[in-house]
Order: sequence, then structure tokens, then C-alpha cells
Amino acid sequence: MFKKILLKIYHKWKSIPEDRIFLVLLVIFGCVCLTVTGGWHVYTDPVKEGGGMVLAKLGIELPEISLPKWELQKPDGDEELVADAGKKEPEASSEDVSVSESDISDVSDNESGQDPWLNPEPVPDSKLESEPEPEPEPEPEPEPWVPVFETVGDEYFDDAVFIGDSRTVGMYQYSSLKETSTFYASVGLSVHKLFTAKIVEVPGQNGKITVEQALSENQFSKVYFMIGINEMGTGTVESFLAKYAESVQRIRELQPDAIIYLQGIMQVSEKRSAKGDHITNEGIAIRNEGIKALADDETVFYLEINEAVCDENGALCAEYTGDGVHLKAQYVDLWKEYLKNHAIIKP
Amino acid sequence: MVFSSIEFLLYFLPIFFIIYALVPNRLKNLVLLVGSLIFYAYGESRFLLLLVVSVLVNYMAARFIGAENYYKEKYKDEEKYDTYLEWRKGVMLFIVTINVGILLLFKVVMGGETLPLGVSFYTFQILSYMIDVYRRDIPAETSLLKLGTYIAMFPQLVSGPIVNYDEVSETLNSRKMTWKSVQNGLKVFTLGLASKVLIADRVGFLWNDIQMQGYESMSTALAWLGAIAFSFKIYFDFYGYSLMAIGLGSMMGFKLPENFRNPYMADSVRDFYRRWHITLSRWFCNYVYIPLGGSRNGEFCTIRNLLVVWALTGLWHGGNGNFLLWGIMLWAVIVVERQVIGFLDRHPINGESLWKQLNLIPRLYVWAIIPVTWMFFAITDIEQLKIYVGRMFGSTPEYVVAGDWRNALATYGSLLVVAALASTPILKRIYHRWRDHMVMNVVLAALFWICVWRIMVEGNNPFMYFKF
Repeated sequence: MFKKILLKIYHKWKSIPEDRIFLVLLVIFGCVCLTVTGGWHVYTDPVKEGGGMVLAKLGIELPEISLPKWELQKPDGDEELVADAGKKEPEASSEDVSVSESDISDVSDNESGQDPWLNPEPVPDSKLESEPEPEPEPEPEPEPWVPVFETVGDEYFDDAVFIGDSRTVGMYQYSSLKETSTFYASVGLSVHKLFTAKIVEVPGQNGKITVEQALSENQFSKVYFMIGINEMGTGTVESFLAKYAESVQRIRELQPDAIIYLQGIMQVSEKRSAKGDHITNEGIAIRNEGIKALADDETVFYLEINEAVCDENGALCAEYTGDGVHLKAQYVDLWKEYLKNHAIIKP
Repeated sequence: MVFSSIEFLLYFLPIFFIIYALVPNRLKNLVLLVGSLIFYAYGESRFLLLLVVSVLVNYMAARFIGAENYYKEKYKDEEKYDTYLEWRKGVMLFIVTINVGILLLFKVVMGGETLPLGVSFYTFQILSYMIDVYRRDIPAETSLLKLGTYIAMFPQLVSGPIVNYDEVSETLNSRKMTWKSVQNGLKVFTLGLASKVLIADRVGFLWNDIQMQGYESMSTALAWLGAIAFSFKIYFDFYGYSLMAIGLGSMMGFKLPENFRNPYMADSVRDFYRRWHITLSRWFCNYVYIPLGGSRNGEFCTIRNLLVVWALTGLWHGGNGNFLLWGIMLWAVIVVERQVIGFLDRHPINGESLWKQLNLIPRLYVWAIIPVTWMFFAITDIEQLKIYVGRMFGSTPEYVVAGDWRNALATYGSLLVVAALASTPILKRIYHRWRDHMVMNVVLAALFWICVWRIMVEGNNPFMYFKF
């Protein structure tokens, strides 16, 4: 029976003329390839979307029309973000919710309209004042502790993990932290791929695991997070920030005891910003404002690292960068020094 | 649209060829032209009008210039005919000025920032057609459809090869698309796709890494590795594109001219540029070098003519100073080579030129000098260029990333070996020997989909020559 079918297929195969066999193979391999990689959506999505090509696998999302709203009416946009972030968090266990609604609205009220990093210090006092009233969960905190930035040595980073995209890869490759700290970074990483891309190598093991897996297997005291440049061509500021908030939330869950540093997205050079694509310094500044609002200044801190590497116009200094986006090897230490001067030491 | 994109590979390619195969012969040119315009306008339709107007204007001008016989009949009177000849000259001058002017406007005046896709290529193709008509080498094309198809056909519209009209004019009238031509064309296309996606793009990451690190802190070894990586990147990028163009053309029954002949196997820089971007060298040879007198008026004039050609070649790539430097540098090298190799040729030892007998040494010389010249091509900022070349030749920097080249070699070493192997004629020979064998069919079909898969995962990279 089985043999018969095989024989039949064999004869069918033999009957394909030689000048067509490659085409037949192409079609067969294509079906296999699209099935194995789940690539059929390339064909099915446009039908569903009514013509718009959505290459979800590439992480390309069609920009929503609501983009200008954020830029034009900042206060409104802020509130939307809050609502968004709130919606995304129901599944989070209440005790480690670090981004509570009132916190964000407070910050945004205080800060709306201000240049995000002309005043780098994240106004801790105003935040702490507002703390007692909205805190819904009576967390058994031993003592009120006022965090201040201090200067530390390199050993501070021994139990730190750096999570990020190519910029963080640069930190890994060209700073002395390569030997002592942990890096979960990969070129082209985005918030959308953060927890799904297998980028972390495990010593003595073949294959890589996801950042999520790695974070659940290893505990760190400090998490340095910088991401957001690769997302700029896709989605909206809101969709980015929602996903970013979700990622911070997840990191919080996986690393309950760590200090989380949200580093502002590093600006690009003026020339790069003016190139005419999605990557602009204005876009970065808007996103950084949103990121800053996610800090609670208790366990999640915002670091305006752009202070260390930018010129007076808020663009990445031209001489520090070869491609307008990444710090050259010899200037990575400017960034590291900034981190050393802005460290929180837990009591 | 980019050949190595999902849009092209999974939508345009199958849909276009199915429609093209189904329509009757007399509609094939029309389908090809419309398809090409869609191909061109997809993603960037701003300059579609420029292309269309360019074709129209040149079509009419050529009709006028090529209508000598008509006017000879019409004006029996000598004087009136002479006025026509005057006008003919004037129109030609005007049309050349317009074509070259547009090119200069976008490339030099506007600094190449907003460049209409493929303008350098299709302008040169139009110019070759106009000059051929003016020189009475070919008759002016009466069918606008045929001329439009010749200029705009999507396989070669954006990045060449730069086709002469007489190479395709007959095929434009009638050509055969058969199962065999489709199959073999697709195979060549697949080879080009693999060359672009699996070699050029990946070896290009090394070059990108170096941009990230910055030239100041490179070790000398890394500077050389970077130059080699760029040499492979630009070759497999452009060669891959040309192969894809030739493959797509031959699927429809066109025979597009070859653009590369194993350039890295050359035994001199002069030889290298006979094998590199052949259709561009041919263009400059036919329309600049030979009209200037070529090499017939003594060594001095030859050197002068070469200078003109190389300066223009540099300019064709862009208005930046570095391209001019690149052209002049190649000119200087070629002039010296002419003297040395010429001398050795005139004084053969044992009946053969010493240069030929040295065998590997001339090749080592080419492999050393070409990557250096590519750096002049790659780095548009003169200050940065100085730093890069300085690092190649051991300038002492303040700060070097120790062992950076070891990292690069660990990551890209095997890829560089593959690229080097693919630069030899070996793979080509294997392909031609086993083209119709079942194993080759399987390998190529797999290769095609591996490329598609890579593009899905990593996104597509535009071709480097799109910016020229």
C-alpha cells in the first residue's frame, strides 16, 4: 500500500519534464519554507488587512494615524500613555507594580513642556511627597530611604546586567566591563523582540536563550536598560512606550530586588537626525520623556546619559561617533563614567 | 523595489511573470513596460515623472536627429537641408546638455542627497542611444513603446548593466520565453540573490562594526580586514545585482551583457577595470576615450585621455571629493602600470613577458592595492579617510582596541574564506558543468528559500549601487 503510493509519486516525479523540474522544486521548497518558518502570513496578512502589507515577522507595523496627537498635545498624550500602561498591567502582581498611575501623572504634570534633559535630576522630592497618598498596597518597607546618586568604582557593575541594543553591545565590546559585568545585548534589538529573541549565550551550552529566560535564571542587583532606537521606524510613540513599560514591568517581576536604571535613548548626531528618515533627535526626546515618566525613583531610576555625550543642541557630538548612531570605541568610557557618577547605593 | 526584498521575491516576481507568460506576444512589451513602471514607482514614486519625461523627450529628439533621409527627400534644396543639419547638431547638443545637466544637478549641485533611483544608469543608457543615433550607427526607434521598454525594463533600470540599444533592439521585436529560459534565468537569479544576501550583506556587517568602533581606535590588522571586507561587500553586492538582472532578462528571452568577469582574479589594476562594471567602462571607452583619440596619438595624449575618463568615472559615482580622488588615484596607478607592464611586454624573457611569468605576484599586488583604493571610494569624509588610510599604514593612534582584529576574524573569518572562494572562477565552472543536474536543482532551490528566509528575519538591505 505504502509502497504503491511511493511508486506512484516516483512515476509522477519522473514524468515532470526536465525543463520544469527546477520550478517544481522551487514551489515545493517554498511551501516547506513558508510552513516551517511560519511565513505564510506574508501572503495571508495583506488579504486580511485589505491590501496593506504587514510583515509582522520583520516587526514592521503600519504607523497609526494618531501619531501627531502625541506631539501636538503633549499633556493629553501623557494621559493616554498612563491609561495604556494601566491597561497593560492587570496581570502583574500588585506588590511589585512599580509604575503606578498616579506616579506617572505626577511626573508628567511637573515636567510637561520641559526639555527632558536640561534638568537631568529626576526631581525626587516632588515625587516622594506624593507617595503616601496614592500607594494602594501597604508594602512592608522597613524605613523610608531617600536615594541619591553617588559616585562608585568599577566594582559596582560586577553584579549588574546591561540589557540593550547595538549601543549596549558597544559598551560590551569597548569598555572594561566586558570581563566583569553581564550583557544581554544584541544588534538590532527592540522592545518588541526583547523577550522573544534568543540572544543570550549560555556558557557550556549550545544555542542561545531569551533575555526572559536568562533573567529568570540569574539574579542581579542592578539592571541597566537602554533600548528604543531600532523601534523608531515602526509603530507610534504610544505603542513604543506601552511596550517599553511592559518590558520594564516584566524585568521588575523577574528581578524583584534589583535597582533598575532606565537609560534615556542616546541621541544621534545632528547629521544623522537630519537624514530624513524616522530617526530624529526630536523623536528620541519625546520617547525619553515617556521613559523618564516610568521611573519611580525608589527602585526604578531614569538616567539621562545624553548629558555625557551630547553637544549644546542636544545631538550626539559629531566627533564621538563614526556612523552618527554609535559611540566610537574610545568614547564609550564617557558613558561608563556617567553611570559611575550616577549610582544608587541601597542601604 | 529591491530585488532582494519580500515584496519583489514573493509578490512581484511570480505575479509579473505569470501575467507576462499569459499575454500574447504583441502585448509582452506593454506588460513589461507597465510592470517596470510599477516596479520603479513602488516605494518612491517622486521621480517616476522624471523618468517618463526623460524617455519622451529623448524619443522625440532622436526621431528628429534620425530623420536625415526624410529631410533630404523633403528639402531638395541643399541650403534648407544644411539648415536641418545645423538644427540636428543643435538639438543633439541641447539633449546631451539636458541629460548631463540633470545628472550633474542631482549628483553635484544637490550633493547626491536626493537622487532619483537609477538616474545615473538610465541617463547613460539614454545617452548611448542618442549618440548612436546621432552617429548614424543605428536608426532612431519609431516605436515609443519599444524605446520605453528598452530604457525602463525593470531588470536593468535601476543599476544596470548599461545596455546598448543595438544589443536588444531585435529581442525587443520578438523573443521567446520558454520553460527552459525561465528555469535557467531563475537559476542565475538565485545565484545573484545568494551572492547579495548570503555574502555581501553578511560580510558587510564587519564593515558596519568598524564604523561603530570608529577608525581612530582600529588596529592596523583590523583596518586591513575592514578594507578586504568592503572589497567583498561591494563586489558581491553589485555582482549579485548584475546576475539577478541578467537572470531576470533571460527569463524573458533577453540577453543582457555581462558586467563582471572575476575581477579579483585580475593581474593588474588595468585588467581589474576591464573585468569590473564592464558596461560602464565600455560606455566611457566608446563615448569618451575613443572620440578623444584613444591611444592612437602617442603616450602623452593617451595619458591625458585616461585622465579625462577616470575623472569622469569618479564624478559619475558622486560629487564628493573622495570619488574624484579615487578616480585620479586609479588613473595614476594605471599610468604607472602602462609603463612598467609595457616595458616588460616589449622586452620579453624567454619569449614571454616577465609580468605574465611572475604569476602570483601581480595578483598579490592587485589584492593589496585594490582594497586601498576602495577605501577612497567608501569613505566620503576626507578627514575620516585620512585616519583610515593612516591606520592601514601604521600611524600611531592615542588609543587602540587591543585584539579587535581577533574578534573580527573569529566572527567573520569563515565568511571571508567563502567570499574569497566565490571570487575565483571555480564556483562558476561548477555551476556551468552541473547546471542541469538534479543536485544543482535541489541546491539552488534551497538556496533561493534560504535567502528569502534570511530576508524575512533580517530585513532587506538596499543595493550599494542604488546611490550612484
